[in-house]
Amino acid sequence: MSKQITVYTTNNCAYCVMVKKYLSSKGHQYDEVNVELNPDRRQEVMDISGARTVPVTVITDGRGQKQVAIGPNYGLIASALA
Amino acid sequence: MSEVKHHEVVMIGAGPSALAAAVYTTRENIESVLIEKSVIGGLAAITDLVDNYPGFEKGISGLDLSQKLQAQAERFGAKIELDEVTAIEDGGDEKIVKTLEGEYRAKAVLIATGSDYKKINVPGEEEYYGKGVHYCATCDGAFYNDKKLVVVGGGNSAAQEALFLTRFASHIDILIRSDWKASDVLIEEIEKHGAITVHKGVATNEIVGENNQVTKVLGKDKSGQSLEFPTDGVFVFVGLYPNTKFLNSSNIELDDRGFIKTDANLMTTMPGVFASGDVRSGATMQIASAVGEGATAALKIRQYLEGR
Repeated sequence: MSKQITVYTTNNCAYCVMVKKYLSSKGHQYDEVNVELNPDRRQEVMDISGARTVPVTVITDGRGQKQVAIGPNYGLIASALA
Repeated sequence: MSEVKHHEVVMIGAGPSALAAAVYTTRENIESVLIEKSVIGGLAAITDLVDNYPGFEKGISGLDLSQKLQAQAERFGAKIELDEVTAIEDGGDEKIVKTLEGEYRAKAVLIATGSDYKKINVPGEEEYYGKGVHYCATCDGAFYNDKKLVVVGGGNSAAQEALFLTRFASHIDILIRSDWKASDVLIEEIEKHGAITVHKGVATNEIVGENNQVTKVLGKDKSGQSLEFPTDGVFVFVGLYPNTKFLNSSNIELDDRGFIKTDANLMTTMPGVFASGDVRSGATMQIASAVGEGATAALKIRQYLEGR
């Protein structure tokens, strides 16, 4: 079953670029939410991650279960997408 | 991944030094793979503005510079893999590089793992990490629109990133334990900036918060007087430590601060293993120097491979 991926980013965040490259290199499509361009969604990512940081990658499975990777945590992202 | 991969050259790290080395090796058809655990471009990639790298008269963002270096290295055939090196062993003709996902073997290895920002090791720093304590302004600055911030540190990174954070913050207090170590150009820019107040001779002693949010920083001046700095967040840039923890089990010699010792050929005490950039003992912690050392290391690696 396909999983939905959302990556929260800011404009100049190199770690965000890396996470997006990682997902693309593995053939995954994702939605990006740039919280610098969309400040109204900052609280959303803070609520999800419990932190004021990006990148935050949210992987939602078909049953609505979410796994949250804070930072360039490729191991967690890979296992969540396995 | 459990298979063993054989390569001519393995480079550990994909910061400016390794990318420069890869331009040189791959351009001469020396097959090279770079292993990066975090971010291509390293610390340079998370730096807002690189103003002293030759060839960019108006400066260049660290991210843009990193992407240009990566594109150039990849144009000649460099391969970059995301993985984390855990150990390096001398297998004689081949060096064995162990990673979280498997094992690489190479005729020569370049260690260019760079350095990372030090922590200040005060109460509250770990507790509020990511929730008010940060080490990457370009990543997390946007969470502090119209907020008050504290920047800890007096070097070039602290100065440059404080200036970047003025895009968001209403006011920034910079706490410097002794005096500025930043370049005069940056100091002048900060001193004329209306939204920044510099406090020299102030030690940072504690980061305090409530309800999961940082509320203030406690410090002390040289006379011992306690000081309070109300703030919504703290960005720490107090110097660098080398990324050499994975070498603990190797016989590669480090200096007393943990940086890798090399000879005049940039070779470490393990034959066939070279080091360049910020991780090398004696490095100047400049991107231009790291790139130069990367080029030098590549040429020395070529000599080493030819002489085997």
